[in-house]
Amino acid sequence: MTKTFDLTRWRHATGAAVTAVALALAAPAFAQDLYGPIPDDPNMGGTLNMGLLVEPPGLDPFHQAADARIQMTVLMYQGLFYEGADGEAMPLLAESYEVSDDGLTYTFKLREGVTFHDGSEMTAEDVAYSYDYIRDPENGSPGAGDFEIISNIEVVDDYTVRFTLSAPNASLPMTLGNKYGAVIPAGYFDDENAQNRMNSQSVGTGPFQLVEFNPNSNLMMERFDGYWEGNAPYLDAINFSFLPNSASMLVALRNDRIDLVNLSRPQDVQQIEGIEGIEIERFPSLNQKAIDLGAEQEALSDVRVRQAISLATDKQELMEAAIGGYGEVIGTMTKAMEERWGVPIDELPMQGVDVEQARALLEEAGYGDGLELTLTTINGYDWMDPAAVTLKEQLGEIGIDLDIQRVDLGVWIDNFRSRNMGLTFNDWASQPDPNLLFYRHFHQQPEGADFRNWNNEEASALLDEGRAATDYDERRAIYADFQMELAETVPTIMLFSADHVVVHDADVENYVQHPTGWLYGLVRTYLDDAE
Amino acid sequence: MLAYLVKRLGASLLTALLATFLVFVFVRMVPGDVVAQMMGQAGSDRAEEALRAFFGLDQPVWMQYFAWLGDVLRGDFGVSWTRGMPVTEMVGEAFLVTLELGLLTLALATIVGVPLGIIAGIYEGRALDTTIQAFNILGLAAPVFWVGLMILVGVSATFSWSPPLRFQGPTEDLSENLAMLLLPILSLGFLQAAAYSQFVRQSVVSAMHEDYVRTAIAKGMPTRTVFFKHILRNVAIPIVTFMGLILIQILGGVVIIESLFALPGLGRLLLSAIETRDYPIVQGALLVVVVVAMVVNLVVDLVYHLLDPRLRIS
Repeated sequence: MTKTFDLTRWRHATGAAVTAVALALAAPAFAQDLYGPIPDDPNMGGTLNMGLLVEPPGLDPFHQAADARIQMTVLMYQGLFYEGADGEAMPLLAESYEVSDDGLTYTFKLREGVTFHDGSEMTAEDVAYSYDYIRDPENGSPGAGDFEIISNIEVVDDYTVRFTLSAPNASLPMTLGNKYGAVIPAGYFDDENAQNRMNSQSVGTGPFQLVEFNPNSNLMMERFDGYWEGNAPYLDAINFSFLPNSASMLVALRNDRIDLVNLSRPQDVQQIEGIEGIEIERFPSLNQKAIDLGAEQEALSDVRVRQAISLATDKQELMEAAIGGYGEVIGTMTKAMEERWGVPIDELPMQGVDVEQARALLEEAGYGDGLELTLTTINGYDWMDPAAVTLKEQLGEIGIDLDIQRVDLGVWIDNFRSRNMGLTFNDWASQPDPNLLFYRHFHQQPEGADFRNWNNEEASALLDEGRAATDYDERRAIYADFQMELAETVPTIMLFSADHVVVHDADVENYVQHPTGWLYGLVRTYLDDAE
Repeated sequence: MLAYLVKRLGASLLTALLATFLVFVFVRMVPGDVVAQMMGQAGSDRAEEALRAFFGLDQPVWMQYFAWLGDVLRGDFGVSWTRGMPVTEMVGEAFLVTLELGLLTLALATIVGVPLGIIAGIYEGRALDTTIQAFNILGLAAPVFWVGLMILVGVSATFSWSPPLRFQGPTEDLSENLAMLLLPILSLGFLQAAAYSQFVRQSVVSAMHEDYVRTAIAKGMPTRTVFFKHILRNVAIPIVTFMGLILIQILGGVVIIESLFALPGLGRLLLSAIETRDYPIVQGALLVVVVVAMVVNLVVDLVYHLLDPRLRIS
């Protein structure tokens, strides 16, 4: 039997009746729309001014891994799927798909009548070209690793394309989302200058297209009139201004130069609380702040030492010190993903402070007389400084003396990738899928990168199983086991997740921040005072 | 004169060559290159290698340097590794922004600083001098980011106004251009005027104590003549020299002000290029800074020789 997943359950802007029957995916029922809630009667038109603290280094979805790039290009480019905020892949350029019984063949039915920004129509050939391009490591895409599991892509007809995998992988749809790559016209990269051209001209199928991108100044996008989805988007244009410091950002916000901004530092948010005409909203994020424990260090190779550190860590106190109250303490997964994939924090081992037990574990491991460790923090990550001082105090309680060392991001990434991270703070995120979240980070080498030298056979076996299983309940159970092991043997301590704090002018309506931090919500945003 | 010029230019060229080489090597010594940044925490080794070869980063540094130098001598500064735009275009546009900011700041600093310095010098030790010196010391002591921030926040609170965010050149839209530059010029101009004024004051004070000035006054020459013929003429030389120094200082030190006021100038371009390890931009931008510093120095030297007959080269 072939399972059919119909993915058109979401409300469609055109109101087209959806009759196909949904089966299999017994996911919790979330009423969610593509990109964000669809308003009943939005005002059309107007230009929204958004402020950004970080400028994207470039706009090429195939060759730039930077989050600052992804958050903007998702408005101009589209993949086959959309990363549903609750962790479910929803159809974007795909309309539905079928999986063979062995889980190795995915046949995608494509949306018809989709136009690229250059006016040409999207067909299966473009889809095959785009994903073939990104999965070839010779083309130098940071996303290539994610697509290694694809062994062949075949065009069946104009609107059907078939992907063959080398091993079953349930997170394929999520991988075909919008983090890396996108569907672009076949042959686009044949032109030597194609990579560069993406910074002056967009070639995707997204709701907005690029107008101008001025270094250290601004980026302007305008509504793409040929966009396939109903009357979206509602704004005529979005002008992004790059302001490298939050003081100028707040001044610009107060003087109506900026309508919308995403702030991350509590002290910035506090400054504008209570100002008339400015609204502050908080949204859960997929961002996770963590302590990583690299087992290449002798003391940290002892699981009892890692457990002792976990039991001495007061996550709530760390969060208060690091980001004020603007976030949530987590167990092994962010709140945005927990309902669908996680284990509640009170069911996980090694959570909550227990100084007695922590001391006993250290004693057992032979460190009863105390232990000196170096904690690495990264320059420019504001939250790490107060958190480091607080952690030093907490671990001091059990006789661990922390030496805090700040390094540049470049140095940190080098250490991280060469699996030599020691004890460090980390700040990361992934798409809302457990395989994409855990596999590369925690699977033994060589299949995974095992950055923390955890080398856990049992956990690796669970990650393999979870990846191969296609049934939601089965996957959920496997990942629950994995998370129990993760919490028990502590290669990492997930601390808390910082909320997205969105500050906007009262005229800005219906902006919902996607948990990834990407700016999907702008597709559904409109202005009260639009002409 | 010609021989002198040739000698100076030759020396400048050598310095520039040395500077570009040092920049080339040092920027590559900073950990993490453009490929590491593009890859982030993801990325396979094979993809990384492919990309590194694409940028020529798999070659030895000296080969990369000579390849770059060869291109530069042919007038090809390459393209930005992150933006794909020609380096000449990006650096050129950013330089014009900084140059406009620099020249207008210099004008403000001169108009305010020189008269203040002369007045303070003439009224040495009196109340007026003390007041002007207080201004000078405040300007010299206050960090530029603090002054800029105070002006920005102060203007915002008082007039509910802040500068526009999208830079437009003076030929595009002059009023928007000036609206954007006004506060940065005030912030930088305040500091430079203070420095200028303090310097001019010292020059005037020391000139007033010279024997020839005392003699001129003693023989009954009108004060105005003493001032213009003896004091100002001698003070003119250091004033001009200092103008060059201030211009170099402004052009080299605008990073903070450009960041605070979102100006797409050379300092900010250089900073962001260093952050993203965009080597062609770093090299191009620093070359411009070096060349400008040299040209300004040369011009100051030449003017110096013109103003002081004793230094004229035969």
